[in-house]
Amino acid sequence: MTDYVLLDVLLLALLTITAVAAVAMRNLFASTVILSIYSFLMACVWSNMDSQDVALTEAAVGAGVSTILLLGTILLVGSREKPERAVHWPALLAVTAVGAALLYGTADMPRFGDPQSPANSSRVSKGYILQDVPKVADAAGHHTGPRSEGNYFHDHVPNMVTAVIVSYRAYDTMFETVVIFIAGLGLILFLRRRTS
Amino acid sequence: MNLHAVNLAAGCVVILGISLVLFRAIRGPTSYDRVLAMNVIGTKAVLLVALIGFITGRPEFLDIALLYAVINFVATIAILKFVEYRRLG
Amino acid sequence: MTHWIDWTSTALLLLGSFVLLSGAVGLIRFPDFYSRLHAAGKNDSLALILFMIGLLLQSFRYGTVGLSAGIRLVLIVAFILVTSPVATHALSRAAWIDRVQPWRREGTND
Repeated sequence: MTDYVLLDVLLLALLTITAVAAVAMRNLFASTVILSIYSFLMACVWSNMDSQDVALTEAAVGAGVSTILLLGTILLVGSREKPERAVHWPALLAVTAVGAALLYGTADMPRFGDPQSPANSSRVSKGYILQDVPKVADAAGHHTGPRSEGNYFHDHVPNMVTAVIVSYRAYDTMFETVVIFIAGLGLILFLRRRTS
Repeated sequence: MNLHAVNLAAGCVVILGISLVLFRAIRGPTSYDRVLAMNVIGTKAVLLVALIGFITGRPEFLDIALLYAVINFVATIAILKFVEYRRLG
Repeated sequence: MTHWIDWTSTALLLLGSFVLLSGAVGLIRFPDFYSRLHAAGKNDSLALILFMIGLLLQSFRYGTVGLSAGIRLVLIVAFILVTSPVATHALSRAAWIDRVQPWRREGTND
């Protein structure tokens, strides 16, 4: 068993216990705190999978903002759960059936990081992966020099996500800043103190 | 000296520590016990991410660890303000 | 030269793990909230400092990337050193205002 698989298995076992505990708690404040713990553990799982941007987003959104928004909801709703706890049989059957179908489907998935998998070997992916990346920039940050003279790494973008985004960087960043601005504006309008 | 194995063992010990504190988060009779457990698990997550960075040979993960430390502190103070003042502002 | 760095780093990681586990065990076993706050706050911060110094010694083998990693490790430690006492104090103050009672041994009235 390789090292990241070992850490992955241990973290996922802890995540299962945390998720079951978050659902089974009666006090909603306790559920909120345990969901924040779930988000921290999830961010560790993402870090284990080598995806730093997803881990950053999970920490900021899940452990930070989502916890505080849930607390604001508890303010309005109250922190006791409704006392009826009967099992809803149609829902349980539906969830079990869908879960079994998903597990059956994942048995056919390619190996983790397989270079022959359809995602890595189609024509579009090859167009992104086989890019030439400049080696070093001068003091002003410009990449100069012709491609054939050792100024470019041939077929060398180390991260798959970067390989796609680095071609469309401008569009990606521009629209993401618009989205984040709208989200921040919404939050400010939502959470400001009413002095009237 | 196989430092990779040492880092991996330290990662497993940190995960064991997280599972022990999780017991207190589930069990804790007062809500402050749970907030304390959340703070401690946040700090251990900082440690775990830094260790994972050194295990996989990418010290860039330390940026994520620094962010976790900040988020952990802000979330703890926000929860405590909520519990004390009963409002979010 | 690299030999004693590896052994020192391993010893620091081992010591940090021991402090971490003893803090977690204390968090489970202590009888009331304030004593658990002692166990969690102190042991957690100390374990983090020991771990980070151990990782700092390990980062020397990465060259210039290790230098920036070392600076970031020192930043993490400095931030935790500043904010962990603040968070612990805020927790104990919030619990005191909410009238959480400390544990008393049965039969004494101190």
